[in-house]
Amino acid sequence: MAPNFAVNHRLPYKKYPAPGGFYYAASIPAFIAVPGKNSPRSKRFDAIIDSGAASCLFHAAIGRALGLDIENGDLEYTQGVAGQSKVYLFDIALNVVGETILTRAGFSDELPIAGLLGMRGFFENFRITFDPASLHVELERFHHA
Amino acid sequence: MNERRFELLKSAPLDSWVALSQDETRIVAVGRSYSEVVTLSEDAGVADPVLVKTPKEWLPISL
Repeated sequence: MAPNFAVNHRLPYKKYPAPGGFYYAASIPAFIAVPGKNSPRSKRFDAIIDSGAASCLFHAAIGRALGLDIENGDLEYTQGVAGQSKVYLFDIALNVVGETILTRAGFSDELPIAGLLGMRGFFENFRITFDPASLHVELERFHHA
Repeated sequence: MNERRFELLKSAPLDSWVALSQDETRIVAVGRSYSEVVTLSEDAGVADPVLVKTPKEWLPISL
């Protein structure tokens, strides 16, 4: 059965400093929580939409603040252009654009930013249209039948 | 908002956590750690900031 598309969000790219200038990235505020009733949630943080990331990845400091024992998570090695990195996997509830998604996400102290929204957990739940001409990204949440 | 936010990020210390106001037009706190900036932003009366982790050097992200 085809997915059921519902909510549509059109959000501007964000501008970030770069050597001698700037660059644009599609980023949105996100927050995460440990799954479960009355679990504490993180503050909202800036998360970059990254189709090159296999899963969502967050700075380990955010996970520790939620009570996760990061180094006791399931260890996974990831491969990036800068080489291999260790990430620790946990089941979390991800909240973006008012939508909550349960997913298995990675945590790393080596991440230079707060968060990346990758294929597992994010892209598999949204139809995403990057529009570099207007510097906007469109997100359509769909629910798997 | 985007230009203002960009200028704020340029002015923020590197390798830090920055708490922006809800509309991302001002810095409400800066800390060396996530926990520190959460405490400082709450002390500043901003319970729902947007946190940005600044890298050691601003470069386009490619992981």
